[in-house]
Amino acid sequence: MKEHDIKKVVRENYGRVAKQSGSCCGSSCCGQTSGPLIAEYASRPREVGLEVGYTEEEMQSVPSGSNLGLGCGNPTALASIKEGETVLDLGSGAGFDCFLAANKVGPKGKVIGVDMTPEMTEKARANATKAGYKNVEFRQGELERLPVDDGTIDLIISNCVINLVPDKEKAFQEAFRVLRPGGRLMVSDMVLLKELPKAIRESIDAYVGCIAGAELKGRYLEAIKSAGFKSVSVIDESVVTLDYLASDPIGQVILKHMKGTGIQPNEADRLVASVKVRGIKPT
Amino acid sequence: MKRDLLDILACPMCKGDLTLEVFEEDEREIIAGKLCCKNCEECYSIEEGIPNMLPPDLRD
Repeated sequence: MKEHDIKKVVRENYGRVAKQSGSCCGSSCCGQTSGPLIAEYASRPREVGLEVGYTEEEMQSVPSGSNLGLGCGNPTALASIKEGETVLDLGSGAGFDCFLAANKVGPKGKVIGVDMTPEMTEKARANATKAGYKNVEFRQGELERLPVDDGTIDLIISNCVINLVPDKEKAFQEAFRVLRPGGRLMVSDMVLLKELPKAIRESIDAYVGCIAGAELKGRYLEAIKSAGFKSVSVIDESVVTLDYLASDPIGQVILKHMKGTGIQPNEADRLVASVKVRGIKPT
Repeated sequence: MKRDLLDILACPMCKGDLTLEVFEEDEREIIAGKLCCKNCEECYSIEEGIPNMLPPDLRD
């Protein structure tokens, strides 16, 4: 699939989730029209939130409807955000992490969320207005060509989004460019621990569900380092085992898909992991 | 979009500075307007308070 087509499909699918989650009637209605994987996540945002590292208090401190259950970590928890900082969220969705960051930077700081899906930026802005946030802004933009000036950002966060970006090296180069010297990068993302079976790699559902677009862990880290980041380290890693997949509603969707394409279930064991990666732009 | 965020914004194509033309503004922010690059002259619209900074090839 061509890069342009991937972006279009990603936008359409996440656009549907943005629209449905606000008026969703229950746990299954999202699954009717959007990619089954992300619909699974979006149907139970609270559970996914707790699983990937948000506290109950954090989830209650932001506008309802901003947590879509599409993250794979909590980058704001580990980023030691300080008052007055300027934070940029790559792939900000309905604004969940932006609002958590905004609570930490306070009135003197600012948070900017960039997302390429118009339904997401609209929803995020509506959430900000509803809750009276004055230090958060959203804009539509592409991660490989950020609409941000050089050296203006203190901290970049991103949660389970860069796996969807076809050119990850370019995305990390852009992140490096917009950070000020000494600025930090803190990303949560899905990475591969071994090469994906072809049938999964070619599945658009698996792409949209953060798997087929994921990069091998080594290459992912290399892309960050080659962009210029120093002190690049994986500070947390959760390996997805077959047992976990079999016990998880999302995992069951993946396994069902694999069965349909004739792949043995054990190939899914320890295939992907969610990682939290940190890097610093040298001064 | 608030006016002070113009300092951080740049053209996604060439990273040039942007000029702002305001069509509608309330006491808090710019609701509708247009941002144009001083360097490559590409323009980006602001609608319902959100600047659309997608490169031209990715717009609908």
